[in-house]
Amino acid sequence: MFAIEVNELIKQYGTFSALKGVSFSINKGECFGLLGPNGAGKTTLIRILTTLLKSTSGKATMMGIEVGKDNTGVRKLIGVVPQAMTSDLDLTGLENMDIYARFYNMPKKDRKARIDDLLERVGLRDRRNDLVATYSGGMRRRLEIAKGLVHKPAILILDEPTIGLDPQSRHVVWDLLTNLRKEDTLTILLTTHYMEEAEFLCERIAIIDHGEIVAIDTLEGLKKVIPTKDIVEIVIKGTAGERLIEDIKSLPMVRSIIFADGKLRISVENGAQAIPLLLDKIETSGGKATSILLKQQTLEDVFIHFTGRPIREEEARKVNFLIGAGLPQKMGR
Amino acid sequence: MTRLLAVVERDLRRFVRNPIVILSSIVMPLLYLIILGSSFQGTLKNLPIAVVNMDNGPQSIRVMERLQALEAGPGYIKVSRESDQGKAVEGIKNGRYKGALILPHDFSRNILKGNRGEIGLFLDNTETIASETIRNVVTAGMSNIEVKFIPVRERNARAIVRYIELYKKVDYDQSLIPGIVIMAIFLGTLTTGAFNTVMDKFLGLDESYLLTPLSKRDIVLGLVISGVIITTTIAITVLFLGSFISGIHLWNILSPVALLSAIIIIILSILGLIGMMFVILGRANHPRIVGVLGGFLNVIFFFPSGAIYPTDSFPGWLKMFAKIDPETYSVHALKTILFKGENLTAIRGDLIFLTIFALITLTIATLTYKREL
Repeated sequence: MFAIEVNELIKQYGTFSALKGVSFSINKGECFGLLGPNGAGKTTLIRILTTLLKSTSGKATMMGIEVGKDNTGVRKLIGVVPQAMTSDLDLTGLENMDIYARFYNMPKKDRKARIDDLLERVGLRDRRNDLVATYSGGMRRRLEIAKGLVHKPAILILDEPTIGLDPQSRHVVWDLLTNLRKEDTLTILLTTHYMEEAEFLCERIAIIDHGEIVAIDTLEGLKKVIPTKDIVEIVIKGTAGERLIEDIKSLPMVRSIIFADGKLRISVENGAQAIPLLLDKIETSGGKATSILLKQQTLEDVFIHFTGRPIREEEARKVNFLIGAGLPQKMGR
Repeated sequence: MTRLLAVVERDLRRFVRNPIVILSSIVMPLLYLIILGSSFQGTLKNLPIAVVNMDNGPQSIRVMERLQALEAGPGYIKVSRESDQGKAVEGIKNGRYKGALILPHDFSRNILKGNRGEIGLFLDNTETIASETIRNVVTAGMSNIEVKFIPVRERNARAIVRYIELYKKVDYDQSLIPGIVIMAIFLGTLTTGAFNTVMDKFLGLDESYLLTPLSKRDIVLGLVISGVIITTTIAITVLFLGSFISGIHLWNILSPVALLSAIIIIILSILGLIGMMFVILGRANHPRIVGVLGGFLNVIFFFPSGAIYPTDSFPGWLKMFAKIDPETYSVHALKTILFKGENLTAIRGDLIFLTIFALITLTIATLTYKREL
């Protein structure tokens, strides 16, 4: 049995299709990343899986329980860290956790131990009696994660868990998630548009765009598919003769080579290993390299390959002109 | 049960951390009582009128004495003397006077001859209530002078009305207290209950509890219970403070049974209004909508309720509305308990209406609550 199984999920808003038949499955204990630009359908998908929205058609099961059939059953076994900060500012960190745990009917004894442990792990134990209003963005985000875990869910779903955080707080969250996985068997589904995040945390990644999954594989698998390889740029003294260029071309990992403006631009598989060999060739031909630049293939390249655009491109948010931001934000972003 | 209580506790804790809201919910109705109680009084007072006495005969002096007595006694009017009619009318035009009384030069002579003495009264009839008051006060004040010359026979034929007041005297500002309590209840139900769902939606907090196994009933009932606790506290505080301000010491005069009856009326009114707010605001997601609707609904329900003006004097269509306005029944029930000293059986009809209203609104509120985004 899969932890999460999604089959031909469709979500239609009038004529607009937010999800156009999404299917995938996630193994127990796996960390699975959903990568996509804003408006791709990530949040819509998460909201359907977490029972907040009804799908137009298709089927999703969480630990064998069908979403939409037994929503209470689903809600009991998933922990969710929504994209928005949802803790109450007027309550303390501890009160937020305790009231949230009671929404799951946790007995008092279990609650206390679990909350203590979680607050310790997210580094908020000392601040537990302070109002959340006094917390920094990073602290609030860590509280959200602790809240999502309070009832010991089998599946943890995180929607953009580190959005808006500075790089340092982001690493704190990553380490926290990594440690949590070491201690419990926890299946994690997370959406992100940070490449580093998916690279750091996820075993498998699905790229979602315009409501469709365009690629799904391990990070290595995805990288292999795309034609762009690592690029090594070497500035050399003088000019590169025909012979040097032919020599470099003869190396097995080299895909192509261009020489322009005193700079060799070489496309290679695995640039880091190719550099010493390339330097050898230059030296034996009597040339001298003055600087080297290695551009490694990233998930960003993978993303551009599959979606045709960089991930950080923002899409304008749709706002109703009659009631402004009061419009129910139907289209998950 | 744990879940329901957790919803109640969350809401109560959040509310008490906003003491300014609690304070304004109490202070605003009280300010309303003070301002309304002092501005719309039962009868108007200190209305400025000018008197031009062109006669100076013995009868005109009697009139002047009468006017001075009206000024010094009940204080309805404030008399100023003017030398001629032109100046007096000018004073009405520029707003210095609300009326001008002209005693013509042949006033005393006419009366002595046995004719009617005519007094001219100019009125600023753009101020309808003020001019009506002056007309009544002056006519009543002058009647004695004329009566003196009416033959004794006719005088005997006049009917004499004796007033029997059924209840202890209630001042105008005191009569506003039930209305003020209902206003506090309205404000309380507007800022608790459904308002929380609007704010949670606006701030994106609703996602967190919609994700949990909480049922519709847990969420709606939880917010209703906390709203009832908060609003009842506010309403009872306003009842006691408002009475104290207008000179009634409720803790001396209210029997335990009467106090309990008042609390029952208050709680039933709150349940109905909270349910109604859920029905109206359940799908709203911007606090501004609450602001706009709140101001409107307050006026719509408050003024036709009989809190300020008796519903019997309304035109037919407004009477119809007053009949379905829950505040009408709350005001009537509270007035009956507080001022007439009656018991629950006297307000049975009110209690039945309020109970049915609460049941209907709360049922619709729970059924229509949208437990998803």
